[in-house]
Amino acid sequence: MGKVMLEVKDLRTKYITRFHEDVYSVDGVSLKIEEGKSLGVAGESGCGKSTLALSLMGYYFAPLHYMSGDIIVDGKTISGMDPDDVRKHILGNEIAYIPQAAMNAMNPTMKIIRFIEDVMAAHQIDMSKKDIYDMAKERFAILGLPEEVLDRHAVELSGGMKQRTVIAISTILSPKVLIADEPSSALDVTSQKMVIKMMREMMEKGFIRSMIFITHELPLLYNVTDDIMVMYAGRIVERGTAKEMVFDPMHPYSHGLMGSIIVPESGTREQKLTAIPGTPPNLKNPPKGCRFAPRCKYATPECSYVDPLMKDFDAGRQYACLKSIEELREVYAREQ
Amino acid sequence: MKGYKKYYFNKILWYLLTLVCAVILNFVLPRLMPGDPVASIASQSLAGVTDATQVQKVYAEYAAKFGTDRPMWEQFFIWLGNALHGDLGQSFSQYPREVSDILAKAIPWTLALQLPAIIVGWLLGNILGAIAAYMKGVFDKAVLPLFMFIGSFPAFGMATIMLYIFSLKLKIAPTAGAYGFDLIPTMSWTFVKSVISHYQLPFWSIVLITIGGQGIGMRSMAIYELNADYVKYSRFLGIKDNKIVGYVFRNAMLPQITGLALSLGTMIGGNMVAEMMFSYPGLGMTMLTAVTGQDYPLLSACTLIITIMVLIANLALEIIYGIIDPRVKAQQQD
Ligand SMILES: Nc1ncnc2c1ncn2[C@@H]1O[C@H](COP(=O)(O)OP(=O)(O)O)[C@@H](O)[C@H]1O
Ligand code: SF4
Ligand SMILES: [Mg+2]
Repeated sequence: MGKVMLEVKDLRTKYITRFHEDVYSVDGVSLKIEEGKSLGVAGESGCGKSTLALSLMGYYFAPLHYMSGDIIVDGKTISGMDPDDVRKHILGNEIAYIPQAAMNAMNPTMKIIRFIEDVMAAHQIDMSKKDIYDMAKERFAILGLPEEVLDRHAVELSGGMKQRTVIAISTILSPKVLIADEPSSALDVTSQKMVIKMMREMMEKGFIRSMIFITHELPLLYNVTDDIMVMYAGRIVERGTAKEMVFDPMHPYSHGLMGSIIVPESGTREQKLTAIPGTPPNLKNPPKGCRFAPRCKYATPECSYVDPLMKDFDAGRQYACLKSIEELREVYAREQ
Repeated sequence: MKGYKKYYFNKILWYLLTLVCAVILNFVLPRLMPGDPVASIASQSLAGVTDATQVQKVYAEYAAKFGTDRPMWEQFFIWLGNALHGDLGQSFSQYPREVSDILAKAIPWTLALQLPAIIVGWLLGNILGAIAAYMKGVFDKAVLPLFMFIGSFPAFGMATIMLYIFSLKLKIAPTAGAYGFDLIPTMSWTFVKSVISHYQLPFWSIVLITIGGQGIGMRSMAIYELNADYVKYSRFLGIKDNKIVGYVFRNAMLPQITGLALSLGTMIGGNMVAEMMFSYPGLGMTMLTAVTGQDYPLLSACTLIITIMVLIANLALEIIYGIIDPRVKAQQQD
């Protein structure tokens, strides 16, 4: 077993809205990633994936608030640390983030190199401008980005180039954990492929040592990450290897999600999204019992008041459903 | 670089076209006013003369001198030819003073009053707007709305209130002019002191009116920028909040330069009322006397200056933006 790069224990965070309502978007998430491994997080829009990404950084600002749980990066507990220490010593060099909306992620009126200089200064890295430029140039070259980008403003770059630049900047301090929130979702297919290739290269070259890759498009994860976790309504409902999760999903939500996406002929995005009838619940008042019960084909009366816990099955696989694996296998087989 | 040059070339062509139209209108419109100013000048030199043929003769002389006996289009080209040589003709209402001489006396007062007032108002407005966006609270709920309320006063209302309070009631400021009417402009201490005390009311009336509008613009720009994606991303890169606030206000400030350039361009026309209410001897006052005296040459010259200032301000704005704001530059290159 490899060294654990990121371990999260029962993490809970919430949004406090302008109207002083609490939204429990990450509600008891635990996970573990070993060195050199990548973990995909999948789920429909609104399931709390982006909030999970933000919550894992250990650096909170309104409207998001930390409630409880531990975040341990390479043996160091960062939850509960002084925010300014997190900013200086953790963000960027231990754990780094790629935002969902990379299109507008960089200050539009600033040259990329100036932005990199600010990142360096923020971590009290004492380097001359020339050294920073040379370092950035080298890193960009390895990642296949042209040097001119450094002297451009963000607005002058194309969408795919902007995304790859954001990735290069996020990882410039070689963090131990990279959290990428839908890094390729807004891109065309060619740019998507380049981004995914880039992520893989960064892992091989040791620029990052583990990765969480968030997406709502499951087929993407099959080729990219080692493991996949499915998230629903602020919780993890199933986890396994990419292969197991794609070909043998167990939880009724994963099953519906995979089933709905893998049928390639019936192609359009709309059809994929409506494949599971209904939408994820509003997390202001999450449903009691199993959160998926209102949409679950296999729900029994028990499901709407008993909260299913994560259970192990097979080797290292986990799921959170009241039904046993045998029962689920049986109903799925009957449906075929 | 190519798209760039083409962009400016097109722009400048449009500006020239606008200038031509504006020059024609500036010439024609005043001359469409009813009444005959030449007759009134002629009548001044004819005081006491009753002989009708003598009157006719003098009138014809004046009409020929000012060219008003010719068709309008001919007058226009003569005027244009002269104007291109810097000769704007003689004033009707202050005959025989040269129009250029009148303008040369008036423009410095206008510049000295309005340039600092607009810049101070713009700066204070932007600072207030930024504070209101960032700190919220009393600045956002009370101070800025108060200035917006003040800013929505018409200029003459503001001038009347200020005159009433500071000149009539408190008696701490003079009511009219740019310096005591009994003084002659010299570099003496009494004169300078008089200029400074006459300066206060018109200056602050313009500043007060400018603050609210600029402040509310800055506030909404700053709020927009504070919520931009790059703020969140920069935070997660570990960049310090005060540095990020720097990015935000720089970005919010750039579009505000439009507001500044437009106020500077329209300063003469826009704040004419302030000059009139305080009888400040600038271009605004000059225009007022030109209108009431049906002084075509003077009026055309004033409007010409305003037109040129507005056009220059806009063009300068466009060029400056291309240089300082990469967002605009990217658009211009498309
Ligand atoms: N700033 C916010 N304030 C309040 N609620 C939010 C905010 N952002 C997201 N949410 C809510 O949190 C839930 C999860 O959202 P999000 O993490 O963006 O999901 P995903 O990334 O999976 O689409 C949603 O119900 C959403 O309405
Ligand atoms: S616990 Fe019940 S409702 Fe929830 S997924 Fe399992 S069967 Fe469906
Ligand atoms: Mg999201």
